[in-house]
Amino acid sequence: MKAPRSLQWRISLWLGLGVALVWGIATVATAQRLGHEMDKVFDSALEETAQRLLPLAVLDILSREQGDASQRIVTLREHDEYFTYVVRDDRGGTLLRSHRADDSVFPAFSRMGFVDTPTHRIYFDAALQGTVTIAVAEPLAHRREVANEALRGLAWPLALLVPASLLLVWAIVRLSMGPIRNLRTAIETRGSGDLTPVPVAGLPSEIAPIADAVNHLLVGLDRALKAERSFTANSAHELRTPVAAALAQTQRLIAEMKDAASRERAQQIERALQRLSRLSEKLMQLARAEGGRLRGGETADIAGVAKMVVDEMVRKPGMTERIVLDVPKTPVAAGIDTDAFAIVLRNLLENGLKHGPPGSPVRIALSKDGVLTVSNDGPPVPPDLLSRLLQPFERGRTAAEGSGLGLAIVNAIAAGTGAKLVLTSPLTGKEYGFEAKFTAPPAAGEGRRDPSRP
Amino acid sequence: MRVLLIEDDAILGAAVRDQIVAEGHPVDWVMRLDAARDHIGSAAYDLVLLDLMLPDGRGLGLLRELRARGDVTPVVILTAMDQLSDRIEGLNAGADDYLVKPFDLAELSARLNAVARRYAGNPNPLVRIGDLDIDLAARSILRAGRAVDLTAREWALFEAFVQRPGQILSKAQLEERLYSFGTEVESNTTEVHISRLRKKLGHGIIETVRGVGYRLGRPA
Repeated sequence: MKAPRSLQWRISLWLGLGVALVWGIATVATAQRLGHEMDKVFDSALEETAQRLLPLAVLDILSREQGDASQRIVTLREHDEYFTYVVRDDRGGTLLRSHRADDSVFPAFSRMGFVDTPTHRIYFDAALQGTVTIAVAEPLAHRREVANEALRGLAWPLALLVPASLLLVWAIVRLSMGPIRNLRTAIETRGSGDLTPVPVAGLPSEIAPIADAVNHLLVGLDRALKAERSFTANSAHELRTPVAAALAQTQRLIAEMKDAASRERAQQIERALQRLSRLSEKLMQLARAEGGRLRGGETADIAGVAKMVVDEMVRKPGMTERIVLDVPKTPVAAGIDTDAFAIVLRNLLENGLKHGPPGSPVRIALSKDGVLTVSNDGPPVPPDLLSRLLQPFERGRTAAEGSGLGLAIVNAIAAGTGAKLVLTSPLTGKEYGFEAKFTAPPAAGEGRRDPSRP
Repeated sequence: MRVLLIEDDAILGAAVRDQIVAEGHPVDWVMRLDAARDHIGSAAYDLVLLDLMLPDGRGLGLLRELRARGDVTPVVILTAMDQLSDRIEGLNAGADDYLVKPFDLAELSARLNAVARRYAGNPNPLVRIGDLDIDLAARSILRAGRAVDLTAREWALFEAFVQRPGQILSKAQLEERLYSFGTEVESNTTEVHISRLRKKLGHGIIETVRGVGYRLGRPA
């Protein structure tokens, strides 16, 4: 038998088996002791009967007429005879016997005291210097029947008591396990972003340290995540302003310069600054995506986010014609942070625009169940490269400018939020094109059921 | 178009101010929220450029104050916060548009002009008056198919008329739109600009309403 994994079942099972075993041993011991005591009582009764009957029988025989051998006692009332007896003389002749007595049961007198035959226990006694003997017999079957009855009397309540005690054990164990079960439920049912402490009150002293340790960890984790969060937010802010200042001043410089050679130089500074700003933004996104910030039980309308991101993008010149958006009119709820989804879409969209042929469309589609696909008509990507594209700084065979971080960021967000990212190239049924499919995690509340639990 | 710039970074602020001034719009530049409140109380601005993180508080607080008292002056947010949720918060607080740092100055100008046009009631940057084809976004004018060059000041002045057809603008109003605080305005500067506009675009383009001011007419 496979041992049950639940602590409750394990304790109940072993306690129950133990109790049943103890009950069983006690019963057998009691029955044996009882049999022994009963034998003593029966023997004493046998002996008593013989000793009481013998003087009466002697008197009776002496006062009786000669020649009337083997007299049978007349029955006063019909009754069951457990004890039978015979009174004999020294030659073995029967002087007196009880009305049911069977001579064959009684062996010849050998000594006073108890004698066992295969069927009976017999007590012998003698009087008048051994000339008159009495033998009282009790059938062994009777004794066995009584002993069996006593055993049955003991066993009967046991048959009820053992299951009842098993049930009681199970109930008590279950009751005692209550706080542990509650703790388990409290940990199990929380969202992945929920870092509030688990309840400690009422926990037994064996479990309370575990809950305390869990809470301690949660507090530490919360502090670390908050620190990371404010670091990325602050460093983004602190970095952006000086880059913005340098870029703006450079652009003013270009606008005010007359000399063409110097202008060219200033424009190179401008391009370098623009690249710096893009790279720092991507690194910040990657730090966010790989950190714990994006984890959380939030629910966002990703259709709204998609419209907003695309709206931002089409304001840049030349983009309106290239972006083809297919988003449901109604909100699409998904269990992902607003900003995380915005970063995902922005990166996929930027990649699609960058690697598609100039002027070719980039298609964005969002289904009602939160599946986002972004595809373009770029050159096909070989399968071995396709899997490597998810690594940071890995770039396809492309002349396009880029950091090589976009897909790594999307991949990190997918891993962090429980979303799925699948890359396909070329497009199904075509010889060109690239498609990224991002399946957003379902919104909290309508989430998948954990398959490991019933 | 008179602009109030609220930005605490001296280097960035200077570049933004110079960019807007170069397009012919007067700019008042402050670095703190309290100074911004003083300025808003004492002059009529056509547009406010608002940084969100200022030494004496959050820019969104000022924006909410303005909207709460019914002030509809267009506000464009300059933000270093790159998260979509921050931008949504800004738009919900009543901002008209936002620019995420770092931004291109050309994009800044385009956004400011687009917001200003939207407020003037005509978001379409292409305007046709008589034989003039005007592109407010590209700042170009074709007169009977030939390009006409305007200086930044002339543009700013002309734009004010184009965005308010039929409306009479007093000399004081025009000066307020053309000059920031502390600029010495010579008494006849506005008249000089108007006469140059008439020369370049046709005499009837700006009509004088005697004793009151000027308004947009038809080129002749």
